[in-house]
Amino acid sequence: MDKLLSIFRPSTGSRELRRQPLFTGMSWLVLLFLYAPIAVLVVFSFNDNRSVVRWTEFSLRWYAAALENDDIRRSAMISIQVALSATVFSTIIATMAALATTRGGVYRGRSAAIALINQPLMIPEIVTAIATLAFFSILRQLTGVTGIGWLILAHTVFCVPFAYMPIRARLSDMSVTYEAAAADLYATPWQTFRHVTLPLLMPGVMAGAMLAFVVSLDDVIITLLVAGPGETTLPIYILGQIRRGVTPEVNAVSTILIGLTVTMVTLTFFLQRKRK
Amino acid sequence: MIDVKNVTKRFGEGQAAVTALGDVSLTIPEGSFFTLLGPSGCGKTTLLRLIAGFELPTEGEIALDGESIGHLAPNNRPVNTVFQNYALFPHMSVARNVGFGLEMLKRPKAEIDSTINEMLDLVQLGEFATRRVDQLSGGQQQRVALARALAPRPKVLLLDEPLSALDLKLRKGMQSELKRLQHETGITFVFVTHDQGEALAMSDQIAVMSAGAIRQVGTPEEIYTAPQSRFVADFIGDTNIVNATLLGFDGDAAKIKFGEGTPLTVHAASTSLSPGPVHVALRPETIHVVDERAETALLRGEVVDSTYFGAGSQMLVRLEDGVSVHVQVSTPRPVGSRVGLECDTSMLHVLED
Repeated sequence: MDKLLSIFRPSTGSRELRRQPLFTGMSWLVLLFLYAPIAVLVVFSFNDNRSVVRWTEFSLRWYAAALENDDIRRSAMISIQVALSATVFSTIIATMAALATTRGGVYRGRSAAIALINQPLMIPEIVTAIATLAFFSILRQLTGVTGIGWLILAHTVFCVPFAYMPIRARLSDMSVTYEAAAADLYATPWQTFRHVTLPLLMPGVMAGAMLAFVVSLDDVIITLLVAGPGETTLPIYILGQIRRGVTPEVNAVSTILIGLTVTMVTLTFFLQRKRK
Repeated sequence: MIDVKNVTKRFGEGQAAVTALGDVSLTIPEGSFFTLLGPSGCGKTTLLRLIAGFELPTEGEIALDGESIGHLAPNNRPVNTVFQNYALFPHMSVARNVGFGLEMLKRPKAEIDSTINEMLDLVQLGEFATRRVDQLSGGQQQRVALARALAPRPKVLLLDEPLSALDLKLRKGMQSELKRLQHETGITFVFVTHDQGEALAMSDQIAVMSAGAIRQVGTPEEIYTAPQSRFVADFIGDTNIVNATLLGFDGDAAKIKFGEGTPLTVHAASTSLSPGPVHVALRPETIHVVDERAETALLRGEVVDSTYFGAGSQMLVRLEDGVSVHVQVSTPRPVGSRVGLECDTSMLHVLED
């Protein structure tokens, strides 16, 4: 990401860029449209009024209401359960896939394998959702198995490419000499992975896991079609409430979600920086 | 003792295959400081990686003390490597880096700790045990890499151009440090370098390599004073290579003449050369400048350049056949003057091409 950003501030041209006409105005406009809606949502979650457009007084009543709402609590628990499980499984799978595509030597079909892993990112989610719905219906009927496992499985699958990207990036940047040095110092392949590859790969794994967690927590379309009765996740619940108009209660829940995400991103950022 | 027997290494397959080593055989004596010397791409690093186990030979066999190791994984060979960029584990302390080999071998904790201390003392980094690797200078990292590779007491230590990342002053210091370590531990050192000065200064034996083959093996003196081929003579120091005519052999000695001069009896790299034009190696420091008309002059030419370098001057003399020769003198002749060159015929060498 730093590399990507650095092209926007070349060492000699940064002042010139700032002097470009409209640069400052455009930047503020983009930032405004990105963050103003969120700011409004956060502000009105503290409003002591049922209206989401007219400010009266500061209050935490909607937070209290949200936390006391059994439906919200239940759906939040399901969301966290699904997201955590999907994160763990997809990160493990993505790590193995990244190892196979960067450390497995050159083999026939490697590029195809990488493309196949990343392809789901390009397929419209609604298509994946309908396909998964149809496929899982068949499987459910054949096996007779029901339960939240199917939803976790669906989330795991679409989280894999998100977790895979940062892990693979980290692995390709990492010199294979470290692993050669470990093998040279009598480490078996497993010991090499355990003591050298994995610790050095950890920032990538953390970033991948975080992406997977956020993507899973946020998912609506696939969840909407795959989730069985009683498996309402938080986004699905919010969506249901919105149909009856935006309530400050929904604002409060959304603010908690934002807070959770921002905390995670910040935490990962500092963890990675400490490692460096 | 390492025995490399008819080892060939090819990378890639079919049409695109590249031969990095072609039928190489070599014996590295136990307890010696052995150097693989050659220009980049000559196969010296490939040979080192084959001994370490990072590559497997396409053909041939490698034996260590009579036991075949050519197809073992790196972790099953009693051989350790000092990598060119050190490859110290950045997430471990200096001490844990040094103890890593023994830790993987599941040695008792007490033994690991005492070896770590012993090794850090050996490389004079005793007080750095708890430091992080990235807090050390290049020279210190180099010594940690050495300590880490020596800690498991390998039978062979492989060093892949370990000094190339250091500046000149540090490099000189590390050269004697490496010699000392080799002497104190008695471990066989196999050292890879493209720097002939380094090779001459440190080695018990040198193998000069080019284009995936070994061109000559010998002590530094042998390599320097009696290069067998034009490549070796060219690569080691700034030897002059001049043209001569081979008249024939008298036992092992060759009879040659320069131009239309008198026949001389000199050393030859091989008695299988056929009479006719040959190349002769002539070290700059063995040449004396004399008057052009002197009877003893073997070669004649014109001074075309002269460079002062403190301890003396280096003159460039262009011979009558157009070949230029470097000569070291204390008082240079003026540029443009004609001179005769005399030299000890026992220092002359007929080269293989």
